[in-house]
Parts: sequence; structure tokens; C-alpha cells
Amino acid sequence: MEKIDYEKIGFKCGLEVHAQLETHKLFCKCPSLVNDPNNESILIQRRLRAPAGETGHIDIAALHELKKGKSFIYEAKSTSSCLVELDESPPESLNHAALETALQIALMLNCQIVDEVIFMRKTVIDGSNTSGFQRTALIGLNGSIKTSKGKIAIATVCLEEESAKKIKEDSETTTYSLDRLGVPLIEIATDASIKDNEHAKEVASFIGMVIRSTGRSKRGLGTIRQDVNISIKGSSRVEIKGFQDLRSIQDIIENEVKRLIKLKNHKPEVRKVNPDFTTTFLRPMPGSARLYPETDIKEIPIAKELLAKISLPELIDEKALRLEKEYGLNSYLARDLVKLDINFSQYRIRFSHLEPSLIALILTEMPKEIKSRFNLDYSFKEKDFDFVLEAINQNKVPKDSALEILVEIARGKEPNLDRYKKADDKELEKYIKELVKKNKELSTNALMGEIMKEYKGKVDGNKVMQILKRLR
Amino acid sequence: MPKSAKEGDFVEIARTDSNIEGILMPSHNKDIIVVKLPSGYNLAIKKSKVKQINLLRKNSKIEKRKKGIRYKKGLKTVAILHTGGTIASEVDYETGAVTPQFSPEEITSMFPELENFVNVKSRLISNMFSEDMNFSHYNKIAQEIEKEVKGKVDGIIISHGTDTLHYTSAALAFILEDLDIPVILVGAQRSSDRASTDAKINLICAAKFIAKADFSEVAICMHENMGDETCLILPACKTRKLHASRRDAFKPINTKPWARVYFNEDKIDIIDNRFRKKENRRLKLNLFNEKLKIGLLKAHPNMIADEIKSYDGFDGLVLEGYGIAGNFPINETDKFTRGNTKIYNELKKLANKMPVIASSQTIFGKINMNVYSTGRKLQELGIIGGLSDMTAETAFIKLAWLLSNHPKQIKELFMHNLRGELSLRLSDTDFI
Repeated sequence: MEKIDYEKIGFKCGLEVHAQLETHKLFCKCPSLVNDPNNESILIQRRLRAPAGETGHIDIAALHELKKGKSFIYEAKSTSSCLVELDESPPESLNHAALETALQIALMLNCQIVDEVIFMRKTVIDGSNTSGFQRTALIGLNGSIKTSKGKIAIATVCLEEESAKKIKEDSETTTYSLDRLGVPLIEIATDASIKDNEHAKEVASFIGMVIRSTGRSKRGLGTIRQDVNISIKGSSRVEIKGFQDLRSIQDIIENEVKRLIKLKNHKPEVRKVNPDFTTTFLRPMPGSARLYPETDIKEIPIAKELLAKISLPELIDEKALRLEKEYGLNSYLARDLVKLDINFSQYRIRFSHLEPSLIALILTEMPKEIKSRFNLDYSFKEKDFDFVLEAINQNKVPKDSALEILVEIARGKEPNLDRYKKADDKELEKYIKELVKKNKELSTNALMGEIMKEYKGKVDGNKVMQILKRLR
Repeated sequence: MPKSAKEGDFVEIARTDSNIEGILMPSHNKDIIVVKLPSGYNLAIKKSKVKQINLLRKNSKIEKRKKGIRYKKGLKTVAILHTGGTIASEVDYETGAVTPQFSPEEITSMFPELENFVNVKSRLISNMFSEDMNFSHYNKIAQEIEKEVKGKVDGIIISHGTDTLHYTSAALAFILEDLDIPVILVGAQRSSDRASTDAKINLICAAKFIAKADFSEVAICMHENMGDETCLILPACKTRKLHASRRDAFKPINTKPWARVYFNEDKIDIIDNRFRKKENRRLKLNLFNEKLKIGLLKAHPNMIADEIKSYDGFDGLVLEGYGIAGNFPINETDKFTRGNTKIYNELKKLANKMPVIASSQTIFGKINMNVYSTGRKLQELGIIGGLSDMTAETAFIKLAWLLSNHPKQIKELFMHNLRGELSLRLSDTDFI
């Protein structure tokens, strides 16, 4: 298929990135259990009324929902939802940790910070908010980031409430679970100057990296989501929702652009992503912002002193680069160390005889390998790593035995280090000499295999190779 | 600020760092200017950062066209009288303003379902918070009801703030002697500007009940539980707000609800049929004496006599005492309780001057002043309330109404059931 010339088709694209924060809910003290495992729940059936807008007309998106004439069933668990989520009690005081993270992110994206935080009600009547609106506040605006294809403006950084999760739907009712409702959510919106689909991916991953650098965002699939707004010359704006995985963003934009090129005269609409990276119609585009002030929450002045207290974390990318340079690690290991939030310099000091890349490998790669290759779901503790690293550092066992010792730990066994004790050099040489004598026809590699099988984990491969080469 | 730019105008704010465009909004703080951005968000800007405000466009409001209203033959006519605590309001997303709606056109355009079962009349009779209501307002509402009754409506809905809703319902029940149509009070625990408001369901259930039931009492119609499927018709004198925020805050006390109304079905359940039906009675108003001074005093630990003394000069007092006997701290049992004799003496003085009524803080259950010596002592002082199961709020309203209309018969009428305010029997199900 022909490559799309994004400039020629008048491609316009902006992103909205949403990230859940790892702290209690925004306006109550309920824990942010996105999937509450508690089985006990209450069911409440409700109806929403479409409030008429300024001209007495119901908003087009609101009307679309209303026409469905649906009622909503809310499933709430007392461990993760209180009367605030049930819309039976007004919002309590704002979660200040969430506000501070929002300020951090806004500052990292070079935004101007508002003088006062004013919470607004954004009307939403698809039932995903029990109140019929989402509480949202502007925290920063007019920011910017540098990208490989020029500067991208960050229009706004907002702090808002996560919506309830849809769990069932039929023609008469939609059922939502309230676990997720009210979890603090950061919303970052760029301007529409993204150049092409590759660029969209770059911008999205950079913003995601900034969010993760705070160490206060939730981890896992669905905790950071992107909405993409695109249009081409002569087309209306289309909003695509439901990107769970950044890797698909390029294909989805390309498919959508191809669809728009073929399409004529369509109305602005919101579409959702399908598993095959195409999109389908979700609802009409909401009319101009349906926001009005949330009178239950007092305005929060952002004092100079508060801003001065906000420290900006080192970006994950910068930190990884620093580890690469400082310790000669490859970028993969360096990124993993940062992702796992490992204090690498401490390990380096404590296990000074070991190569930094060996330490990094043991801390990051080996647990992954043990999980995938041995199918062992064990989460290693600091003392497990210390045990292995210490043994190698003190030359009690060869470094090649690290994986096996960790596997034993993962299997719940007490590892016996004697089993891995380094072989006596003289004995090893004697064994090799005899082996070479007996098997003159075998290649060096084949001999090597034999020796390593015999001395599993107890010898250093390089050393064996040296002896072999010397003896042949 | 330039004289030319007013709230609602589209302006450009020139700041020390950058310029901002948006609609000028009312501000809560004199050092802050609030602008509604095109994105819909309100932005607060410190005045000290503002260099200049330029008017870009004057506010141009489009007058909305109102839909006419047509009366359908065969449907009952309901008058909705608004007292505040808005049951309907419209949001202006442009300015963020929330405007209450009172006219019949506005009400039927907000709640078009109403037209399916009733003809709607609607007007504003006062616009206030329910916490500010007093006896004069009860009289005013009753007079407005009388006008509607003379105008031959089939039922009346009163929209009312929820905080004192149960006082007003009791007051109206006493004022409206020989009422021959339903008068239903409705409120909302979630404001009517939001999609999740309970106002709509409470209002529609009240209208549906009026349309379907043969019922001629004052009642309250509010949510039965946290869901939106049913409302209860609650007795005017035996209901209390028991929760600060829940939709189902109103519960019957020492009795059952009269009926249940299904919001989404053409169905009502009569739960307790002890209510009056239509029988050609002629409404008579027995109004409150607006000058009365009535007290409501709650017993509490560490009470001092001065608190009781402060009611000297009142016309009547309701005591909200402890437990089954409506007890007050009047016994001197050790060196720490020497002040209690003074309390006893002050109560004695008051009881000699004015009617003093006993009620209980327990809310549920019936007082029995015979079971403790303290209760007997209070009875000996002339404190009234022997076997009353009235809430303190209803006792307060009844005392004021008796003082206004039957000042000579208080002792005998207080324990006489006039408006369903007393239960003769309490059954196991009359509790939450």
C-alpha cells in the first residue's frame, strides 16, 4: 500500500494522556483498588436526567445517551467505595498527594501553574459517574516538550476523577463497578501539532515516561491511556478512545487516516479502538465543553511556598542514561534498573568485586528469566539477591551459578552453596587432560560441552576454554 | 478593570507573562479574576499579575423560546408551589450559572413525563433555604394552598429544602383542618442542576401518587432507598430526616410509610391504609400565632440551671430528654451533682408558667414517664407527655399550634391524636 504523506493530507493530531495515580481516592479516603477482590457488594439502580444546556437544548452527546433510556446498576464494595462514590455524600477534602503529583507533572512539562485550583463539573451521562459529572480541575497550561520533530505544546494538565468501570451491558441497563470511580487521574492534553503517526507514538511515550518518573503513577495495563484526536484536510475531527497499549498507536492512526481519506461529509464523532487496530463509532462528539463550577469544593490557592516545596524527579530517560555512562551498562539493563527503582550505586559499593553488568543482570533479567523459563511465580526479596551476590562477591561460588541458586530459592529450597563450590584447579586440569586424551576426534566445542556438563555451575567457562586451548 | 467589561463578556486578559482569552466570571475573592476558558475550565488569575483587560465581545444572550402548555381533559390538575430548595434548575455552561426554574412551562420542559399523568400549574411562593423558615412561612404556605384548593386543583406538591421539611409537613398537617386533597412535600438531597438529582424522581412519584390514589392528607414523598426505583409516601407528623446526605434520609418514625410509588412502572403499593380519603370536606385554616416563643431543649451531661432559666419568658418549651422517660439531670446523688437541684427548681418554675413537654432523644420508641423515679418527678412538676411517641420536632410543632389555637386545652389535647401524630400501638416493624 502507498505510504501516506501526512503533510500533504493536512494531518492534524493531538493527544490526551490519562494516568491513574497510586494514592487513595481524590475526594475521600477510600483506597484506590482498581479491581477490588472483595466479593461482598451492594447493587443500586439509578437513572440519570439529561440536564438542559444553556440554550435550553440538551447537548447532542447527552441526548444520544438519553435516547437509550437506560438505567444504570452500580455494584459497590464497601472496602473500596463509600457514600461519596455512591453519590450519597458530597466530596470531602482534596487528596493533597494527588495535587502535588499533578503539580510535579505540570512543572516537568513546563506549564504555567494556575493561581488557584478550581474544580469543575464536566457533565457525563453515560452512567460512568454516579453523580452525572466528572470532577476536574485545571492545574497547568501553556507547557511544551521537545521532540525529534520540533516542539509540541502541552495545552493543559488537569487533575480529575477516574470513572466507573463498565462490566455489563444490555438493551435496558448498563452495569458499572465503582471500585475505580474517584481514583485520581492526571489528564495531559497536547495541541494538534503532532506531525504523523510515528511522531504521535514518540510524544505519547515521552509523556508516559514523564508521568512514570514521578514514581506515583499506577503500573500495569490500562493505568495510562491515550485518546487521539485527528483530522485531515476536509474532514471533521475524530476522537479515538481506548488505546491500552502504546505499541498499537502507529497502526491505529494509519488505519484511521486511510478511512478518513475515503470518507466524505461526516460529523465529528468519538470512536473506539477494535482489537484489529481499526475503529468503530462510539458516540457523537460532545458539544462545546459542558463544564460548570463544582460548588461543593472550595477553591484551593497555590501558594508560592507550596510550589517551592515541589521537587522535580529525575526523568527515567535521564536516569537510565546516567547509569549507562557511569557503570558501562547497556541501555536495556539501565532502563530496567530505573523501572524497578533499584538503588544501583548502593549495590555497586557493597559488591565491589563484581562487574556492574553482572549485578544488574542478577537484579533485573534473572527474575524475568526464571519466571518465563522455569514457570516459577516467585517475587524475589532483597535478601535473596544479597545472598547470591554476597556468595559470588566472596568468591564462594562461580558467577555462572547465580541463576541456579536463584531457581532453588524460587522453588522454596535452602540453597546449599557447597554444591556450587568452585572446582579445584588442579583436579579440573587433570580431568580435562584425560578427557582430551580419550576423545581426540572430538571438536573443542564438543569437549567444552562435556566438561561444563560434568562441572555444572562449578567452573568458569572462560577458564575451561583457556585450559582446553592450552592442552590441544 | 475597565468599565466596559462586565461579567459574561468575552475578554482578553493581558498578564505579565502571557495573554489569556475567555469569559469574565464572578469571583469569590477580591484579589482574583476568574475567566472561563474556551475549554470550559475556570481559570483563577491573581489581580497583581493582570496588566489590562480588553473587551473583545459583549455578552450576547439568546432568549430561549418557551414551549406552550396545554391542559388535557381527564387528567388531574396539580399545583406545584415552590418554596425554595429548587426542584428544577438549568445550567448555563457558558457562564456556569445555575438558574432555578419555576414556571409551569419550565417545569414541564424539564420533566416532560409529568404531562403524561397530570396537568401542571406551578408558581414560586417564596425562595429561601428551609433552615430560615418560621411560623409565618407556614401560614403563608397554608394560605397559598387554600387559594389552590379554592381554584379546584386535585392535588398540591410543595417543593421544599430538606433540612426542616419534616417540621413544615407537621405544621401544615395541623393548620389544614378538613383537608380534602393530597398535599405532598418533596425535596432533593442532590441538587437539581446535576443529572443524578433525586428531585425529578421525587417530584414525578408525588405527581403519580396524586394521580392514582384516593388520599387527602399532608405527606412527604422521598426516595425509599439509595436507588431510583421507588419513593415512599411518608406521614406528615411521623417522619424525620435521619441522614445528612443520603437520598433515603427520610424515614417513618414509630409507624409505616403510607405507600410506595414505583418510578418506572404504573404502580403504587398501599402499605398502611390509615389515611383519610376524599369526602367533600371543606378546608379551614388554623394558623400559627407568629409571635409565639417556643423552646426546644436537649438534655446533655454537665447541664447547668442557667440554660433552663434562659427560657423564662417563653410561651412553651419542649424537653428532649434521655431515654424512655425523657429524663433530665434533676437528682442530687453525690457532691458532683449538687447543681441538679437547681435544674429541678428551674424546671419547676417554668412548668408553673408555661406548658413544658417531654420527648426523647432516642427518636424511636414511646416515652413512659412512670418507669423511673426521675420520670415520675418530672410528671409531678406538671411536665406533659406521658405516653407520647411523637418526635421532638413534631412535639415542638404541635405545642406551638395548640398554643396558637387551643391555649386553654393544651394538657388534654397534647395526648389526643389530632393528625396521626400519635401511634396507639408500636409493632416490631416500626423501626429501621
